[in-house]
Amino acid sequence: MRRLFYLVREAWANMRTNRMTTIVAILTTAFTLTCVGIFLLIYVNLQHAAGWLQEDVKIMVYLEDRLSRDGRLQLELMLKSDHMVGSVLYISKEQALTEFRTQFPADSHLLEGLGENPLPASFVVTLAQNSRSPEAIKEWVEQVQTMGGVAKVDYNQQWISLLAELIGYIELAALGVGALLSAAAVTIIGNTIRLALFARREEIEILRSIGATGTFIRVPYFLEGAVLGACGSALSLGILKVGFELFRQQVQFVSRFSELEGLISFFPLSACLALVLAGTALGFTGSVVSLLRVGEGRV
Amino acid sequence: MDAMIQLIHVSKWYDRRPALSDVMIEIEKGEFVLLMGPSGSGKSTILRMLIGEEQPDEGQLFVQGKNVTKLKRSEIPYLRRKVGSVFQDFRLLPKKSVFDNVALPLIVQGVSEKDIRRKVTEALRAVGVEHKRDQSPSSLSTGEQQRACIARAIVNGPVVLLADEPTGNLDPELTGEIIELFKLINARGTTVVVATHNHHVMRQVNCRVISLMQGVVLPERAMPERVGV
Repeated sequence: MRRLFYLVREAWANMRTNRMTTIVAILTTAFTLTCVGIFLLIYVNLQHAAGWLQEDVKIMVYLEDRLSRDGRLQLELMLKSDHMVGSVLYISKEQALTEFRTQFPADSHLLEGLGENPLPASFVVTLAQNSRSPEAIKEWVEQVQTMGGVAKVDYNQQWISLLAELIGYIELAALGVGALLSAAAVTIIGNTIRLALFARREEIEILRSIGATGTFIRVPYFLEGAVLGACGSALSLGILKVGFELFRQQVQFVSRFSELEGLISFFPLSACLALVLAGTALGFTGSVVSLLRVGEGRV
Repeated sequence: MDAMIQLIHVSKWYDRRPALSDVMIEIEKGEFVLLMGPSGSGKSTILRMLIGEEQPDEGQLFVQGKNVTKLKRSEIPYLRRKVGSVFQDFRLLPKKSVFDNVALPLIVQGVSEKDIRRKVTEALRAVGVEHKRDQSPSSLSTGEQQRACIARAIVNGPVVLLADEPTGNLDPELTGEIIELFKLINARGTTVVVATHNHHVMRQVNCRVISLMQGVVLPERAMPERVGV
């Protein structure tokens, strides 16, 4: 018990002795992990958005103006009987115009000059849950496109593909930046530990002479590295949280993006804990690297 | 008699200069031995080898039957726990109290809190600085610092006590006191080896003297009797 207490006390004493270096190490670790965290936060939210869009795949089947009422009913029946289709909603030319005026009140005058309603009637098709893969949607769309009375088929899958591509790039960037900045954090913490080792080299010599094992000598420095990493990552989470809340407030103020507020979210608790653990592991690695480099492995 | 320390044909070179040449020494259990010689004669090299701080280039060393030259690195700390060391410069940790300094070898070994208190108190009492237990080493006189250093060396009951120029920083009166302390420790059964170039020490101890000159052991002087045992 006293041994454990001694090791913890030594780690604490190291940090207190080199107070300024400790603070600088925590701050720089926090800064580097915040940079990684920003990428992770964007990545997590975009993936969330992609999943949400995938859930909400709506296919617009625009009808030719010359299609008769019977032809439209027949087409609707065909669509509804398709096992890939979940629901079908008919939007008449008049309904489309009303909806356009509601959604874009400032631009409704554009249609006034045209005299006749230029907007086509359409079916809004939601595919069944098990038919929402990009391949299935594409195949279904190509099939419907050839049906008589169908003018054009439109869907938001392109956006999803684009988003997926974007997420891929961000994932790569997060990995690259993460690896680079993690290496920086390891170096910073490693240097702090090396300074502590240098400051206490006489003490280490005495410990060796009285029979302390290599592990006994090294443990306080491992602890110090881990604590620096944990403090740095906890601080970076704090910075990220404050930044995130400020961003959310801004989103609330701008009415055009007000719906976005419900879509964005901070890391869940499990991810926060994983980040602190990752910081702790980085700090630990820093001290291991440092101890190996100064040859503190020897007894 | 059992041999506590044996050096068999030990040689050591530093930059092709011989520090020890074919040294043969045998020290028995419970003996009090003085390693005498001027600076650079090889006394400290022998002591450093006995605690595994250095390895000979040739020959073998045994402590309590264990071949020190064959020990793995991970085994050396356990050898040092059986061999107490006293240094000329005391090597006390300045930020810790006298009690904590003396307790260090026991903490390292994971001794219980209760035993640490008891053993440290006994060791401090034995060397006569019990009343200074809560003070920092810097507030102690040089003699008291050396006593605290000796308390740290004997606190875990080592089989051998090695002292490298333990009186180098002390005046003749304090030197006498420290030598008396070594005699007491030796009388309790601990083998004591003191390396010194101070001839006053030799006059104060009636024991075997091993003289070294430029890394070579000179023929032993015959001393009438040994201290202890």
